[in-house]
Amino acid sequence: MSEKGHHPAPPSPVEQRVAALEALLTERGLVPEGFIEEITRQYESEIGPLNGAKVVARAWVDPGYKERLLADGTAAIAELGFGGAEGDHMVVVENTPAVHNVIVCTLCSCYPWPVLGLPPSWYKDPPYRARMVREPRALLAEMGCPLPGDVEIRVWDSSAEVRYLVLPQRPPGTGEMTEADLAGLVTRDSMIGVARL
Amino acid sequence: MTAPLSLSDLDLPRRNGELVFDAPWQSTVFGLAAAVVDNAFGGDREPFRQQLIKAIAAEPARPYWESWTAALEALVETLPEQPAP
Repeated sequence: MSEKGHHPAPPSPVEQRVAALEALLTERGLVPEGFIEEITRQYESEIGPLNGAKVVARAWVDPGYKERLLADGTAAIAELGFGGAEGDHMVVVENTPAVHNVIVCTLCSCYPWPVLGLPPSWYKDPPYRARMVREPRALLAEMGCPLPGDVEIRVWDSSAEVRYLVLPQRPPGTGEMTEADLAGLVTRDSMIGVARL
Repeated sequence: MTAPLSLSDLDLPRRNGELVFDAPWQSTVFGLAAAVVDNAFGGDREPFRQQLIKAIAAEPARPYWESWTAALEALVETLPEQPAP
């Protein structure tokens, strides 16, 4: 690698560590052929916030579904075909005019993968993890989600067992929209609770 | 209120301007952890989660996927030694 300009950079220390892990785990037979490519493909193209948006839209148009969703999130989400890693104990928390919910993981990065995919980088960073518990109203305002003083904020810290999903309020003036069009209104951030629709 | 998005915009987790992984080694180490959880811990994510909590607490400012890597290294240390097949 003495020539300049035409060679890729040598692997960084962390890249070398990951390559060593891959070699070791493959040698031990723990990494089936194609496993990493397949799981990467799933989280890059299949498992993402669209799943959660479909859940929210169904709850907006089907009161019976909403009731089941709030009573047993895991089962109701499975009705739409979503489940798997990090989705075994789903609890859905409903926003109302008086209550705004927001999710965080204070210790690491727990997040409802089957309905939101993998978390955004800010969700995993120390400022969000610390401040959402200490001063949620100020942080939400900084993130573009100011809330009236009379709206109660409930912060849900994901634990080892439970993963939370926020059910946003249905926007006014959407009474004529189809379920599919409603799903198009639902953003990832609204289901984390750092945005309102 | 956010501008309406079409369903096709929502298909990829990279919407909201963010890719799921920034570099190939990140998706590799994500997949390796998933493989270890599935194939060495019977799908139980908790042992890895405990290592991730420790790794993040040890160096809170370290980039996330580097803490993830450190957590997986520590978890692999706990696996029983196996003779090569």
